[in-house]
Amino acid sequence: MGMGRRVNVIGVGMTKFQKPGASDEYNVMAVKAARAALEDAKIEYKDVQSAYCGYVYGDSTCGQRSVYELGLTGIPIFNVNNNCSTGSTALMLAAQAIAGGLYECVLALGFEKMEKGALGSKFTDRTNPLEWQANLMSKVQGFSSAPPAAQMFGGAGREYRWKYGTKRETFAKVSAKARKHAANNPYALFNQPLTVEEILASDEVFDPLTRFQCCPPTCGAAAAILCSDDFAKKHGISKPVWIAAQHMTTDFDSSFKEDSMIKMVGFDMAKDCAKKVYEEAGLGPEDVQVIELHDCFTTNEVLTYEALGLCKEGEAEKLIEDGDNTYGGKWVTNPSGGLLSKGHPLGATGLAQCTELVWQLRGTADKRQVPNAKVALQHNLGLGGACVVTMYRVD
Amino acid sequence: MSDLRFDGRVAIVTGAGNGLGRSHALLLAKRGCKVVVNDLGGSATGGGRSSAAADKVVAEIKAAGGEAVANYDSVEDGAKIVQTALDTWKRVDIVINNAGILRDTSFKKITEEDWDLIYRVHVLGGYRVTKAAWDYMQEANYGRIIFTASAAGIYGNFGQANYSMAKLGLVGFANTLAIEGKKRNILVNTIAPIAGSRLTETVLPKNITDALKPEYVSPLVAWLCHESCEETGGLFEVGGGLFTKLRWERTEGKLFKLGRDITPEQVKKSWSVITDFSKSTHPANVTESMGPILGNLESKSLGGNEFIDVDTALGYELPPQHSSYDEKDLTLYALGVGAGQNPLDKDELKYVYENASDFAALPTFGVVPALQMIFDMYKRGETAPGLNYGFERILHGEQYTELKRPLPPRAKLTHKAKIKDIWDKGKGAVVVTAITSYDEDGNELVYNEVSTYVRGAGGWGGDRGPSTDVNVPPDRAPDATVEEKISPSQALLYRLSGDINPLHVDPGFAQAFGFDKPILHGLCTFGFAARHVIKTFSKNDPRYFKSIKVRFSDSVFPGETLVTEMWKESGNKIVFRCKVKERDKVVISNAAIELYDEIPKAPAKKAPAAAAAAAPSGEPTSAEAFAVIRDFIEQNGNLASEVGKTFLFKLTNPDSAWTIDLKNGKGSVTAGGDKADCVLELSDADFRAMVAGKADPMKLWTEKKLKISGDVMASQKLMFLKKIDPKRAMEVVAKLRASGGGAAPAAAAPSGEPTSAEAFAVIRDFIEQNGNLASEVGKTFLFKLTNPDSAWTIDLKNGKGSVTAGGDKADCVLELSDADFRAMVAGKADPMKLWTEKKLKISGDVMASQKLMFLKKIDPKRAMEVVAKLRGSGGASAAPAASAAASAPAAPKPAQAPAIVKALGERLAKSPALASEVGAKVNLVVGSNAWLLDLTGKGAISEGKGDAQATLTMEDDDLVALAKGESLRTLYMHGRVRVDGDVRVAHKLNFWKGLV
Repeated sequence: MGMGRRVNVIGVGMTKFQKPGASDEYNVMAVKAARAALEDAKIEYKDVQSAYCGYVYGDSTCGQRSVYELGLTGIPIFNVNNNCSTGSTALMLAAQAIAGGLYECVLALGFEKMEKGALGSKFTDRTNPLEWQANLMSKVQGFSSAPPAAQMFGGAGREYRWKYGTKRETFAKVSAKARKHAANNPYALFNQPLTVEEILASDEVFDPLTRFQCCPPTCGAAAAILCSDDFAKKHGISKPVWIAAQHMTTDFDSSFKEDSMIKMVGFDMAKDCAKKVYEEAGLGPEDVQVIELHDCFTTNEVLTYEALGLCKEGEAEKLIEDGDNTYGGKWVTNPSGGLLSKGHPLGATGLAQCTELVWQLRGTADKRQVPNAKVALQHNLGLGGACVVTMYRVD
Repeated sequence: MSDLRFDGRVAIVTGAGNGLGRSHALLLAKRGCKVVVNDLGGSATGGGRSSAAADKVVAEIKAAGGEAVANYDSVEDGAKIVQTALDTWKRVDIVINNAGILRDTSFKKITEEDWDLIYRVHVLGGYRVTKAAWDYMQEANYGRIIFTASAAGIYGNFGQANYSMAKLGLVGFANTLAIEGKKRNILVNTIAPIAGSRLTETVLPKNITDALKPEYVSPLVAWLCHESCEETGGLFEVGGGLFTKLRWERTEGKLFKLGRDITPEQVKKSWSVITDFSKSTHPANVTESMGPILGNLESKSLGGNEFIDVDTALGYELPPQHSSYDEKDLTLYALGVGAGQNPLDKDELKYVYENASDFAALPTFGVVPALQMIFDMYKRGETAPGLNYGFERILHGEQYTELKRPLPPRAKLTHKAKIKDIWDKGKGAVVVTAITSYDEDGNELVYNEVSTYVRGAGGWGGDRGPSTDVNVPPDRAPDATVEEKISPSQALLYRLSGDINPLHVDPGFAQAFGFDKPILHGLCTFGFAARHVIKTFSKNDPRYFKSIKVRFSDSVFPGETLVTEMWKESGNKIVFRCKVKERDKVVISNAAIELYDEIPKAPAKKAPAAAAAAAPSGEPTSAEAFAVIRDFIEQNGNLASEVGKTFLFKLTNPDSAWTIDLKNGKGSVTAGGDKADCVLELSDADFRAMVAGKADPMKLWTEKKLKISGDVMASQKLMFLKKIDPKRAMEVVAKLRASGGGAAPAAAAPSGEPTSAEAFAVIRDFIEQNGNLASEVGKTFLFKLTNPDSAWTIDLKNGKGSVTAGGDKADCVLELSDADFRAMVAGKADPMKLWTEKKLKISGDVMASQKLMFLKKIDPKRAMEVVAKLRGSGGASAAPAASAAASAPAAPKPAQAPAIVKALGERLAKSPALASEVGAKVNLVVGSNAWLLDLTGKGAISEGKGDAQATLTMEDDDLVALAKGESLRTLYMHGRVRVDGDVRVAHKLNFWKGLV
C-alpha cells in the first residue's frame, strides 16, 4: 500500500453464514453486519464518512440499498466487484482512504446472496472475463463438464501432484482441519467435523477434488470500520488492531504464458503480493501466528502455504503432516474454518477473514483463540484476477 | 353505430378517486351517467383518509358538464354509499366494485392483520356495497354489477397470498350473483384489469406501465354496464389494449369404473391421462361440471384383482405386429408335427418338399406366426395393460384357428390382437386373445383365438363364461381312427418353429416342473391331430380346411403313440379327440375341425397402397423456413431497427442452429451461431409446425417443448413472423426448390447420395472408430455450408473428438456450398481444385486443413452402412442423421491393451535399463484388465494388481494414445489417466511410444 497514515480496524462484524435459500435478503444481511461492526467500534453511523460495498451478484447500487438503511447521510458509497477477492478489495479501498488522509472513519462492507450450485457465468452475451484463463485451461487439460472453478483449482492440484507426488489424503487433510476449526465457530456454515476418509469418499468433482474439498455457495455479510489514529484517540479507543501492510496484485505474464495451472490460478500473484507485504511490514512469515487464507478448494490452501512462504515449494505436504497449520503448530491457518467450512459468500469473504483476524488479535476468539496472536496475515484471491494480502498487528 | 349512452342511469364507483375507478367514473359520466364517486382517500395500504381524491374527480366531471356526487365512506360501510345514490338520485343502476388496497408480503411474513384487512376491504366491502344495492335492483328489475379481480388471484403472485385470496373470492362471489340475478336482469361480471399497479410499476419497464393505462380498461367496464349488454357471469382480462374472456378448461381426465377400490397407484398410473389437455372440455356451470360423473354412476366395474384388471384389459387392442414366413418355415413346421415320417409317402411329401407339384402348407401352421407375435411381445414386456401375471402362471388351455383361405407358400403378415374375453374360473382365470392376421394386401388370412388359463388369478366374482362342453364325441364308436407313433425327438424338431420353452427340451428343467422328462408341445399334438383329420376326411387336401378347435387336456411325452378318434358329425364338421395309447389318457378333448365345401379363392389384388400414400412434399423444411424469414427481412428494411435483438434458434432432431440478427445493419439470417440475445431451443418438427402456424409458440413453451433463455422478453419481438405472407413464403420455397439448391437437403437429395448431414454422421462414425484421431489431429474445423446453409463443427482437439451441428469458431474454417461439400465427400470433387476455383474458402489455421486428409480414409462400404442405418432408423427422411448417429452405439472394439502390454514386456526384455531407471512397481489398470509392472529390477510384468508405489488407471483408448506417443502428463492433466499413489513415479514411465 505504500506510505500513508496508520489505518486502524476498530470494529468488525458478520452474520452467521447460511446456505443459499436459507438466508435473509442481501440488504438485511449487510445491515446486520454493518450494525454489528458499528456497535463493536462503539461509534454511530453518522461518524462514517464513506462506505465501500463489495458484492458480485446483484444489479448496480446494492451498496446504497443496504447502507441507506443505516441512514441517509449523503456520504460517498462505492460498489465494488472483484470476483472472490471483492471483500478485501472493498477493505483495501477503505484503508487507502484512511491512509491517504481522505477520511477519518470509513465502512468496508461485503455481502453476497448466492444461488445454489457451482459458480457460473451470469452474462453469456458478452466476452467472458475469464476467457484467457479458460483458454489456457482448455489447452492444458481440456474442458470437462465439472464446475469451471473446480476444474481450474483441481487442475492446479493435478499439476502439483505431478510435480511433487503429493498424496490425495494430503488435500483431504486440509478440509478435515477446516471442519475441525469450524466446529468452534458459531458463524460458520458447517460445524460438523469430517474425517479424511469421509472427505475422500465424497463424490469426485474433479480429480483430485472431492465434494467436501470444495467451498460451498454461501450467503452472508461482514463489515469492518476503519479509522485514523486521530479518530481512534478522539473516540477513546486504545490499542486497536491496525494494518501493518496491505497489497494487491493482478495477473503476471506467467499466468497465461507458462501452460501452468498453478500459475494460472494465481500462485505468482499471491507470492508477489505476500513478498511486498512482508517487505513493507518488515516482518516475515515466521513473525505471524494466525492466517486466514483463500481455501476455496483444498488444493489452493496447499498452494498458498508455499506462495505465502510458510514453506518451500513442494514442502506443503510436510507442513501439513507436521501439523504446522493448526493449533500447536507454527501457524493456525483458517481458524474460522475458512472458505471450505465457514463458507464463501464472494463479496463477504474478505471482510469475514478480516473479522476473524481482528477477533484473534484482540484475544476474543473464544474456543478458536490462537495463543499469543500478535501478527495476523490475510490472503484473499479472485480469479480474473486479483490477490489481496493484508497483515494486521496489535500492540 | 350509435353511441352507448347512460342517460338517466346512476352508477356507484368505489375507489374512484384515482386510477381505474376514476377512469370508469369519468367515462360513464361523460356518457350521461350520474356517478357516485366513492373514495375513502386512504393510502394504497389502507391507512388514512381524506375527501380530496373524490372531490377532485367530482369537480372534473362537473367541469365537463356531467353529474356526480362525492362519497367518502369506506366500502365496509357499503350501505352508506348506496344511500348516497338513493338520497341524491333515488336510484342505483350500476355498481362498480373497484376499491382496493394492497398489503403485499410473503406468506412467511404475513400477519393476521394483513390477511384480515385485505379480506375486509375487497370481499366484505364488495359484499356490503353490493348487498345494499341488491334489494333495490331486485325491485327495479335492473342492475349491472362489476367486480374487480386480478391476475394475481387467477394465477397467483408471489407476496400476494391475501390479495389473491380476496380477488379469486370475488370471482366465485360474482359467479353466483350472476345466477341469482339473471331472472331480474341483474347482470354481474368480473374484470381482471392489467393496469399499472404499485407492484408492476417496480417490476416492469416504463414503456410497459405506460401501455397499461386505466383508460384501456374502462371501455370494457362501460360496455358490460350498458343496458344493451347481455353478458353475465363472465371473467375478463383487460388492459394494454387486450380484451379477453376467460373460461375454465378441464381435461377429459380419467373416469374409473365404480364398484372397485380406486388406489393411489391407479391415480399415479393414469397421471398422464388425467393431466392431458389435448382432450378437454369447458364446463360452464355445476351441471356441466357434474356431467361425466353422473354418466359414470351407471358404470360398473367388471372386477379384477392384482393379476387381472378386467376393466383395463378387456377389449384392449395390442399394437399391430409384422412377420413373414416362407416355404422353409412351412416345411420345418410340417416336419415338426410329424409329416413325412415315411419319406416315400407322397401324401405327406407335399408338406415337406417345396418343389412338389402340390406343395401346400399344413393349415395348422396358421397358429404359429400369431402365437410367435404374442411371445415376442411378451418378451419385450409389451403385454396388454391390466394383465399383470408372469409367463409361469399360464397354460395354453384352448386353441381355435380359422383360415380364410389356404395359406400361400410365403406371406408377409400383419397381426392385430385384442383381448377378447376374460373369464373368472374361480381359482384361475381364462384370458382369450383374438389375433387376426392380414396378408400384404390387407385381406384377412388367419383368425386365432388363444385361450390361456391363468393359475391363481381368478376369484374376483366375475363372469365364469360359457360352461357347456362343446364338441363332445357322440356315444358311438369313432367313425375313423388314426394311430401314429410320435418320434422321441419330435419336440426337438417342433421347437424350431418358434416355441423354444426349455420345458420341451431340457430334462432338468422339465423335472423341476414335475415332469419325468420333457413334454411335447401341446400345439405339436394339435398339428398331428389336424393332419390325421385332413388325411381321413379332407381327401387329403389341406385346402378345404376351415377351422380347428381343441382343448388341451393333458401332456404327451415324445415317443408315445397318439390315437386320434374322429366322428363325422356333418358334411363338413369332424369332432375328434386324441389319446395316448400307452397311458390311455385323453390329451386333446372337445375338439372339432370344420371344412370348406369349396376351396376359398384369394380375393382380387388391391391397388398398390404405396401410390396412394405418396408423401406430401409441400411442407417447407426448417432450412426453407429460414430462407423465407430471410426474404421477409430483406423485404422489410426497417425490421432490424424496430426489433434490435439477435435470436438463436437451436433446433434438434436433426440438430441445426440458426441466427436471426435483427440488431445489426439491415438484419440477417445465417446458419450456425452460438450466441444471441435470446436463445430458443425446440425440435425441428415443432419449429416447422410453429412456422406453418400449426403449433402455438406459447403452448410449446408451456409444454416445455420450447425453451427460451437469455433475453426472454425479446422473444415477444418474434411476433413479426406472423406477418409473413404465406403466398410469398410458398414462392420463396418454390424458387429455392427450382434452383436445385435443394433447400430440403434431406428430402431432396437423390435417393442414393448421402446428404451433408449424413456425410457428417459418417465422419462422426469414423472418428468414433478411430479413437486416437483427435490426439493426432489436434485441431477443430468449422464447415460453413451454403445453399442450403448449415454449419458443422468437427472437433479433433478435445477429448476423443466429436462432430456437432452448428458452431461458429474453430481453428480452421472451411466455406463451400452444400453441393460441393457432398461432391467432395463422395470423391467427385477435388478439394484442391475447389480451392483454386475459389469455390472453397479456407480461413484461420489454413495448414490445419491438410489434416482433413483423414477423410479419404473413410471406407465407402462402412459409410454406406452408416447411411443405411440412419435411413432405416429415421424413416423416409434421412434428416435425423445427426441425432440418430449420436445415439447409435459404437461397435465395441477389441481391447488393445493386452497386445500393448505384451509389446511392453518384449521391449523391457530387450532394454532392461528402461525398468531399472524407474525403480518402482506400478499397477496398470486398463478398463477391466490389470497388470503389475515390476520395474525395480530388469522389469517383469504379471497379471493382476499388486503392491505398488503408483497405480495408473485408464481406458483402452488412452493406452493406445500413450503407445502412439501421447505424453502421459497430458493424459493425466486431461483426467484420462488417473494416478493413485506417488505421481512422480509416472514421470519415469517413458517407454510407451511405438508399442502399437
